[in-house]
Amino acid sequence: MMKGAKAAVELLERQNVQVMFGIPGGVLLPFYDELAQSDIRHILVRHEQCAGHMADGFARVSKKPGVCIATSGPGATNLVTGVATAFMDSSPMVAITGQVATGVLGNDAFQEADSFSLMMPVTKHNFRVTDPKDFPGTMEKAFLIATTGRYGPVHVDIPTDIFNADITDEQMKVEVRIPKPKRNLAGLLDAIKLLEKAERPTIMVGGGVAWSRAGPEIIRLAEMLMAPVVTTLMAKGSVPENHPLVLGVCGMHGRQVANYALNNCDVLLAIGTRFSDRVTGKLSEFGAMTKVVHVDIDSSEIGKNVKDRVGLVGDAWTVVNALIAGLQKRKKAATWKDRIIELNKQCTCDYDLRTNPLKPQKVIHELSKLLPEDAIVATEVGQNQMWALHFFKCYGKRQFITSGGLGTMGFGFPAALGAKVAAPDRTVVDIAGDGSLQMVSHEFATAVENDLPVMICLLDNGWLGNVKQWQKLFYGERYIATKFGRNPDFVKLAEAYGAEAMRVEKHSEVAEAISSGMRSEVPMLLDFMVDPEEDVLPMTPPGKSSADCIYGRCMWKGGVC
Amino acid sequence: MEVMMLLVYDQPGVMQRVMGEFNRKRINVETIVVGKCEMPERARIVLSIEDKDRALSVIEHLRALHEVIECDLVDHSRHEAYALLSSKEGVCRVTGTVEEVDAIVKRSQPERFIQAMNAI
Repeated sequence: MMKGAKAAVELLERQNVQVMFGIPGGVLLPFYDELAQSDIRHILVRHEQCAGHMADGFARVSKKPGVCIATSGPGATNLVTGVATAFMDSSPMVAITGQVATGVLGNDAFQEADSFSLMMPVTKHNFRVTDPKDFPGTMEKAFLIATTGRYGPVHVDIPTDIFNADITDEQMKVEVRIPKPKRNLAGLLDAIKLLEKAERPTIMVGGGVAWSRAGPEIIRLAEMLMAPVVTTLMAKGSVPENHPLVLGVCGMHGRQVANYALNNCDVLLAIGTRFSDRVTGKLSEFGAMTKVVHVDIDSSEIGKNVKDRVGLVGDAWTVVNALIAGLQKRKKAATWKDRIIELNKQCTCDYDLRTNPLKPQKVIHELSKLLPEDAIVATEVGQNQMWALHFFKCYGKRQFITSGGLGTMGFGFPAALGAKVAAPDRTVVDIAGDGSLQMVSHEFATAVENDLPVMICLLDNGWLGNVKQWQKLFYGERYIATKFGRNPDFVKLAEAYGAEAMRVEKHSEVAEAISSGMRSEVPMLLDFMVDPEEDVLPMTPPGKSSADCIYGRCMWKGGVC
Repeated sequence: MEVMMLLVYDQPGVMQRVMGEFNRKRINVETIVVGKCEMPERARIVLSIEDKDRALSVIEHLRALHEVIECDLVDHSRHEAYALLSSKEGVCRVTGTVEEVDAIVKRSQPERFIQAMNAI
């Protein structure tokens, strides 16, 4: 016999939870009192949203579910953004919220919010525990669901009286089962036939490949098919970008050669991607002349956005291996491959821009050059993210972490901290913008307090740059609410929290600044004062096709993508 | 009209979760019946929506829900109407096809009546 709070800690230990991110509150006190007796490391954040992002970043690096915890009411509502971000990027997470006692549920008690309902549309599944005897099973199920099939966040809402209720040893000995994810490879033969006949095959990989770590198999398949590989934002880093067949990221701000291969292939093998509107552009024109083989672990993704396809339901690693096994007799026609590799060379522009004011591309260039081969790069959302996606090269063991689906500004910094917790020996960098960083700058306190020396490369242009760019391009340069009239002194801000900081204004100082950031033993902010006039180009305008691409500095001569 | 039948766990929150999927896809549910069924701790939801393509677009999402055990379209269903007529003689209940019920309501000119179209 034990109290619910003790049971909760034991159930977490049973799942090998070693770290959790959160903020306590009234209804969680019994739980925290027990947590103090446990070896589980608790990282006190400064805002619950960041607890979610840290757990998310932790999960993306460790491939284990991240655990975050918040109190009832405002704690839970603050946590929603972190959970929704994980949901959109299929990141495994168990989010725990305290709740007012079951006896007063629904009576507008102090700090009560219906977090069960709030979390429902942004989780893979969620629970509200109302009977102590169900509590052990619920916790087990939460972890199981988060890490089975397509990963995702699971939320458990725990009323405070559950922590004080008695739970028997018998109830703790629970065994839970959930249905196995269905696999459907009935279309395998059709897929193989299509790929064998293909003259211009292209492989498009999405976040599913990153999660199932199928990168090496994808490369093998690409070499067998002589097919170029393009990635989505979520898959950046899952295949080595220095491989001649890997063309990098496609989509709105992607590399033109990747968009070319995507839009000019005759058979598209899409793996672990949901055909986001940021990748496809105008959906009706996407792949009109292309036969699509769509592989996804989630059957509801097949045919959701792109219809008339051969669908294979299964995890990327399994299906790719099945395809490799089936494709043994493939005849290799190298013309398409040669053309793509040739175009890929032409698409390698020089972005080592030695001008002042400092260009953001230059910062990314130096990062790409200087960071070790196992660095973890997180990004915020906006121009900083798009420059990183376009210009940063991910190969070796480098990992790229970003909020792709929800596009949550303020994701990168806490996610980088979570990543550093998961991999303390690796260099972790957050590529940030001044808009995003100001949403979560309080987490410098968490970083310093918990000794998490990450480097924040702030591309500081004094604007909400991406929105400004859209106002410039699509709203007649009418800039509304995008200029920050008065930004704080970010160097002083970071220093106030006990972090190191440095301002960089000249291109000649970038490399040295980054090197000192990598050497720093405390969190370090590099405030790069970048040119506010620089846009993220090339760009395929939203809802348009590649024919309408805006090139800017891009030198692409390969023709309409 | 398409009729869909779901077998779900009989517990609070299930209807909200199931309806959430329809809500997200902006599908209007024409009619819905829910109740306990022949299996313990299970409930059956029978509902209808207008458009087959939209029904098919939501069905895989419903199957993915952890509280949904089965979800399928039901063939050979037809929509019926239901009416309660009240007059001096008392209360009378009418069921049948939409046209039949309409005709009876018109013919008998009740003092008050309520009518549900698209019952399943």
